Amino acid sequence: MSRKFINGNEAFAYGALAAGLSFYAGYPITPSTDVYELLEREHEQYGVEFVHASSEISAINMVMGASIAGARALTVTSGCGFSLMQEGISYMAADFVPCVILNVMREGAGLGDIPRSQADYDQMTKGGGNGDYHAIVLACSSIRDCMEMPRIAYGLAEKYRNPVIVTYDSDIAHTRENVDIPLQGKADIDRLPYTLRGNSSGTPKLVQNVNYHDPDFTRTLSRKYEEIEREEQRWEAYETEDAEIVLVAYSICACVCRDAVRRAREAGMKVGLIVPVTLYPFPEKAFGELRNCRKIITVELSILKQMRRDVEYATRFRYEYGSVNSLSACPTVADILEIVREEE
Amino acid sequence: MYTMLCAGCGHRTAMTLLDELIGKKRLKEKTILALDVACCSLLIDEVEYDAVMCAHGRVLDVAKGYQSVRKDKCVISYMGDGAAYSIGIEEMIHAARRNDHAFVVVINNGLYSMTGGQIAPTYVGDAAEDDQDAGFRAEKVLSGFPIRYLARAALTDGPNIERARKYLETAMDGYLSGSGFHMVELLSPCPTNYKLNPKDMGEMINGQMTRHYPLGEFVKEGERNPC
Repeated sequence: MSRKFINGNEAFAYGALAAGLSFYAGYPITPSTDVYELLEREHEQYGVEFVHASSEISAINMVMGASIAGARALTVTSGCGFSLMQEGISYMAADFVPCVILNVMREGAGLGDIPRSQADYDQMTKGGGNGDYHAIVLACSSIRDCMEMPRIAYGLAEKYRNPVIVTYDSDIAHTRENVDIPLQGKADIDRLPYTLRGNSSGTPKLVQNVNYHDPDFTRTLSRKYEEIEREEQRWEAYETEDAEIVLVAYSICACVCRDAVRRAREAGMKVGLIVPVTLYPFPEKAFGELRNCRKIITVELSILKQMRRDVEYATRFRYEYGSVNSLSACPTVADILEIVREEE
Repeated sequence: MYTMLCAGCGHRTAMTLLDELIGKKRLKEKTILALDVACCSLLIDEVEYDAVMCAHGRVLDVAKGYQSVRKDKCVISYMGDGAAYSIGIEEMIHAARRNDHAFVVVINNGLYSMTGGQIAPTYVGDAAEDDQDAGFRAEKVLSGFPIRYLARAALTDGPNIERARKYLETAMDGYLSGSGFHMVELLSPCPTNYKLNPKDMGEMINGQMTRHYPLGEFVKEGERNPC
């Protein structure tokens, strides 16, 4: 194990290698490109297949091919590149093919721009492609999260045979820390029973829309997502037990809010913070543990109130709500403290 | 076999030729069939091979991903002309540019058949006899890349089907013996959408279509023939 001064994107790449990554296809796009560059530079040393895809559409479909062969496959993108991948993500959700996609969010709709953003929340958590499906969505709120999330993501993808999207914003992507680089992991390509290896049993294995051959598909799909929503909610809670005001934030906003909560507590204010780790399934259970909460304030880097709607629904509209929203300007600790003080 | 297809459909002939080839080379347990959607996808419930139904035009991407992980498998990329030369032309060009290790079969009938016979970029049904630019000729585009094999045959009558069989075997031998991009395009009847009986359909392919889509081997063992 070695120690390196690396950013969130590089930590994610090393995390993926530790989780047994063996295939990468991608197209560069800011602010996700460090992952691409690191794997391009080091793939031979790690024995990873690296493909310069001609588009994000190609990349996601190559990932599908590698996944049905049994590899732990990855593609990484941002913004409009993520939009191009929706076709493949929808296909993999329909066909029950596991895969991991990293979406390092960038500002705005259309071309947008490269600063920090959390504007893809609805696109990631509510679908994005055509048809009835969810991707599991995991948010990283520290460099350590970036390192550890690939292992969790591949585990969930293979457990539920479903695409998993990992996401964070460009502040987490480009913040540097000293990190212990984990050893490379291996994932045997024969470990999953449903991958294609050639028909030696007499009955061919087919990868296609599961509803073509599952007569009870309504139940299969409902149960799958019900189980995910019941079993896989993840979050981190800070000082929420007696909190009267609860902040909800992820990625860079979570970092700022963590500091704000610490400072507010020092000043005697009863403020807490919930950091969703799973954006889908949204961690409703986190809000069941609140005892003294009066008001919930969501802090997110999108102009539209995206996560706030999930928070309102998760708490069945029984609190007062406030929100801090912006295109890409991250609120400071002082900004958050001022907002909290006004509520006191 | 292949009862889902229309009467007179060229897919039945093409898949039968592939079944024979796979049997002859004893490849059944190694074969992965990557199918495009639309008419190609109708084959999936009747094939004896592990198979994946890919998004429209993305067969070569899925095949590339699969083959990169399992280099010992025989991956057959099977698609229509819409996938190969219209919505999937980017994938086709880059697979040829990279000279991906691939065995590719393109069924070209000049139409979007599944949706009712709308004209495709390959349509030459009303082109003038001397119009050299009608239709999408794969050899004009792909033979400029470092591919290993490219040929065209027609699934119309005995001698032409025999030629198709030979081209498919040559492509398969090349694919199995090493690396590189091997592709056979098959001009294929679609009597349903051309609203022709089988005999007239065959004559239309042997006449009008082959005037614009010459038959033959355009690239063999990496060497280009004039086209």
